[in-house]
Amino acid sequence: MSEKWTLNVGPGTDNDPVFVGVGEIPTGKFPDRGFIQGLTKVAILALKDAGMVPRDIDTILLIPNLHSAADQADLIFSRMVEELGIHGTCKSSMMVHSGGSTSDNAVRTAHGLIAAGHAQNVLVLHCERWGSADLQEMITMLSKNGIPGEWELPTGIQFNAIGAMITRRYMHASGSTAEEMASVCVTLRNWANLNENAMFYTKPLTVEQILASRMVADPLHSYECPPMADGACAFVMTNTGNAKKRGISNSVRVAGSGGCVSHYCLSQEADQAVLGWPLAAERAWNQSGWGPEDADIAEIYDSYAAVTAIALEGIGIAAKGEGARWFAAGHGDPGGKLPMNTNGGLLSAGHTGVGGGTALLVEGIRQLLHRAPSKRQVEDCQRAIIGGSGGSYMDAQILLLERTKLGA
Amino acid sequence: MQTPIIVTEFRAGLSDGKLLVQLCKDCGKPNMWPRYACPHCQSENLDWQHSGGVGTLHSFCVLRQGAPEGFEEDLPYAIGVVKLDEGVQLAVRLVPSAPDDWSEYQCDDRVEFVPVSADQIEKRPCATFKRIAD
Repeated sequence: MSEKWTLNVGPGTDNDPVFVGVGEIPTGKFPDRGFIQGLTKVAILALKDAGMVPRDIDTILLIPNLHSAADQADLIFSRMVEELGIHGTCKSSMMVHSGGSTSDNAVRTAHGLIAAGHAQNVLVLHCERWGSADLQEMITMLSKNGIPGEWELPTGIQFNAIGAMITRRYMHASGSTAEEMASVCVTLRNWANLNENAMFYTKPLTVEQILASRMVADPLHSYECPPMADGACAFVMTNTGNAKKRGISNSVRVAGSGGCVSHYCLSQEADQAVLGWPLAAERAWNQSGWGPEDADIAEIYDSYAAVTAIALEGIGIAAKGEGARWFAAGHGDPGGKLPMNTNGGLLSAGHTGVGGGTALLVEGIRQLLHRAPSKRQVEDCQRAIIGGSGGSYMDAQILLLERTKLGA
Repeated sequence: MQTPIIVTEFRAGLSDGKLLVQLCKDCGKPNMWPRYACPHCQSENLDWQHSGGVGTLHSFCVLRQGAPEGFEEDLPYAIGVVKLDEGVQLAVRLVPSAPDDWSEYQCDDRVEFVPVSADQIEKRPCATFKRIAD
């Protein structure tokens, strides 16, 4: 890939899309919190954070839930337009879906709509009730996502088996030990202990505890598998001209993005210890002019430790084979050289299905807006690497976000 | 919906103790999983070849709990991804070296196809492989 693939918008230009607000409610097990209730709450929180009211929104993008097809249909068929009282004025409401990488693709969608002039103020919403759903039903459902029914389902494969195969290949290729893999989970827990919205807030975790937990899918122990959670979050994007008119002085823009869809089902991936990250990163650096050393934080999909370690290597934050040891050395911890997954990630803030990546994205925007609680706000945070992956780690998606000052 | 013919023919091969790989009669390349058109040249002129049944184990896992519905009684079981010598890949079940024990297996082990009974293919229509002894 040698051709330069430039964004058609630049910083400060009126049509440059910017993030101006985020909203989130706690992640965990909240059986009494309704699905539409959660969506409504985060919509209002994000709009307040953006200095907007519902009637300012012309376009809603829905990030799907997975706990119920009927609830997902409510989103597809514009329920939130009515719930927010903007029926009759809202221009467009639609769902974007690519599994765990949906948030990255939702940003690209909103970015394109805003830059081209199809949308002005876009509200992106997500809510999931995995924590309160029937576990066996979710396991069975997840044995059909990113898994071809006619070819692979008969093996009895499911999500932890996919995570376990990637982990084993990664450990084989890198020579990482079980302790080094577990250290990734400990870093995430250290961040969750600074996030009141995290499922495992104030629940410290050690490498020893992880390795003593039961084996679920060799080589994965139960504490290395993502905890299914209820959660919801939202964000608001607009164009720079509109943000300036509204008196917004600080916002976050997209400096570039890169992606690679490397397979549909895991058995067709050429190298499970590499995945699509190297090409995704090359494209992202090419578009933005950044390099891995330019970021102040990284928020990268972490349903399993190996998934994040592999991404770190492909992105170039860690040397080839050194992703897990990079975590073991504390580089991603609070106070480390590159704060990683500062909300606690999917493994410690909670896995909210498609929303796990959305929560990481929202955390990245929050850090860049300097609106994280002081105990975990990264000082002078200017640039973030956001990484996502969907299905059986079918794709590697990278968004490069930067804080941008608007007006005087 | 009726099961597509590329699925029934592949499974019939397994029931006969054979591992079939789709072959494009126009460009001559093998495809796995079988496709409706050759992903290399888009030809629909597709046939089968018998795989040599030998390859390299890219990775594997042993699932001990959390089986999908209908697979509970199989636990524990091992799933692997095999890179066949023909240059295509597939997901398989792995035979334990001793009851419920896959500890001899390692990534990049040489593995071979194991024919199983038609009854077993009826229940679990997937290929089974085992480690080739050192």
